[in-house]
Amino acid sequence: MVVYSFYIFDRHAECIYKRRWVPRPPSIIGKSSRPTSESSSTPNALPPVLGQSARTTDDDAKLIFGTVFSLRNMVRKLGGEDDSFVTYRTSQYKLHYYETPTNIKFVMLTDIKSPSMRIALQQIYINLYVEYVVKNPLSPVEHPGGVGVNNELFEESLEQFVTRVLS
Amino acid sequence: MTVFSLIIINKAGGLIYQREFQPGLRKLSTNDYLVLAGTFHGVHAITRTITPKLPLATASTTATTPTSSTIPSTPGTPTPPTPASAFTFPNPGIPATGLESLETDKFRLTCFQTLTGTKFLLFTDPMMGNIDVVMKKVYELYSDYVMKNPFYQLEMPVRCEAFDRHLAGWLRGRT
Amino acid sequence: MAQPARHSAMPSVSNNAQNHSTASDKQHPPQQIQHIANTGLRVPSNRKTIYDRHLNRSRNAELSRASFAFLFAEMVTYAQRRVTGIQDLEKRLNEQGYPLGLRLLDLLYYRTISSSTSSSLSSSSTSAAPPNRPLRILPLLHLIHGPLWRLLFNRPADALEHSVSPDTPNEYMITDNDPLVNTYISVPKEMSMLNCAAFVAGIIEGVCDGCGFEAKVTAHNQPTEMWPGRTIFLVRFGESVMEREKVLERAGIK
Repeated sequence: MVVYSFYIFDRHAECIYKRRWVPRPPSIIGKSSRPTSESSSTPNALPPVLGQSARTTDDDAKLIFGTVFSLRNMVRKLGGEDDSFVTYRTSQYKLHYYETPTNIKFVMLTDIKSPSMRIALQQIYINLYVEYVVKNPLSPVEHPGGVGVNNELFEESLEQFVTRVLS
Repeated sequence: MTVFSLIIINKAGGLIYQREFQPGLRKLSTNDYLVLAGTFHGVHAITRTITPKLPLATASTTATTPTSSTIPSTPGTPTPPTPASAFTFPNPGIPATGLESLETDKFRLTCFQTLTGTKFLLFTDPMMGNIDVVMKKVYELYSDYVMKNPFYQLEMPVRCEAFDRHLAGWLRGRT
Repeated sequence: MAQPARHSAMPSVSNNAQNHSTASDKQHPPQQIQHIANTGLRVPSNRKTIYDRHLNRSRNAELSRASFAFLFAEMVTYAQRRVTGIQDLEKRLNEQGYPLGLRLLDLLYYRTISSSTSSSLSSSSTSAAPPNRPLRILPLLHLIHGPLWRLLFNRPADALEHSVSPDTPNEYMITDNDPLVNTYISVPKEMSMLNCAAFVAGIIEGVCDGCGFEAKVTAHNQPTEMWPGRTIFLVRFGESVMEREKVLERAGIK
């Protein structure tokens, strides 16, 4: 299973955390499709070599938010207020969605073969986000521009979670 | 087998058909369905543009190995000539599509876009399998009873009694 | 004529479902087809087109139902231009069918005669029609109900009735439960009276006229639960025909 990217949106529809994993092309690395992490929590530090020259990751985050927001509203309209949108799939990737009761939205993009990531996203919320961001006395209540989320503990454990638990 | 409803969206994003077969989803007003069709049309296009793009050569590997020799040519994938923006989709060889299937707690939405741009949206039970078969039949009936009907105006709402009848009959036969 | 058909473009329309649309592809041995550079036209390698073929040879050939559906849809669309109403539209469809009926009659006679020796066509009860042209109403209607319907749709019509009302002894009804021409057609609600089988009614009218029976034929919807597309073709013979019928009856001619 391959994880491509991960986003957190707060209740003000702002992207407070994003991270992308760039799997090496299998032809180069040969044996393992395990994602190698590119430290990309500082969004604009990504070099244009990563194929994002036309569209920055900032735009991506906005598009992704727009997509999940529209789909979530559509699902609620059709399935009722208690229905929630879990995942969608295209021919190329799968997007997983989890929304906390506090309106924080977790989004993960994986390859299409991956199983449901609802539990995984829930675990990231409970075991990582609540533990290392919410409970962190130094982190602010709101996270404008991602302040307080990109602390070392959270990043480290997310890294471990994705590379060890998920792949 | 539970098929809740079917929606057909024309290539401009307009709703041209909406029909409920089995109860399970909330009923919307005609206007809401129109909005839903338009929204979905837009979201569908966006879901295609946010397809992850994987670089063909990372910065570290290009330093040691020449790009051209290590990258196998994958026909059908966009590989711009400049190595700086060279990327591939996760499934090279398959064209990137928009949303094909969406799952919620209560239903599954399967979207099939024809090569002519028309979108068929099937709302089914999340447990139901073989949606491809249903979708194929819907497309077949559409081609037969809508496109061959001299009174149907292209891109306009589908009001073809024979289409309704055959669709309902076929679905009834499968339950 | 046990040979397989070698070309799809034949003047007979069939509702034989398993053969439609792919009939020609399946029956063409691939090596016999020669592609003419980039035109998409396919001509058998022996250079014989359907026009070179003996008329009887195409008798069992079939036309793709899809091609017919698209052609007929265009005919209806064409007829719809500048019409004043439903009756006008039906009249135009009728007029499109009428010359076809006149011409088909010759083909029908020709085949009835030439096959009466091989007896392949006269196998059914209704087509015991002799090679002579029908003189009385009943043989004419049997000719329409049986051989004509088989020529057009590969099956006989579903019913043939005489009007029970004493006021209209000149009215006969031919029923088709599911007319081929209407298979893919859904008539809009505001035109619910319209029946596109008026085209077939035109063909019948042409056949009647060709036989010397002045008649008006109209198509009417008579849906049932089982057959939502059931159509009645109402054949109204003219006064002269009815008078002649009486004379012939007295003379004992059948």
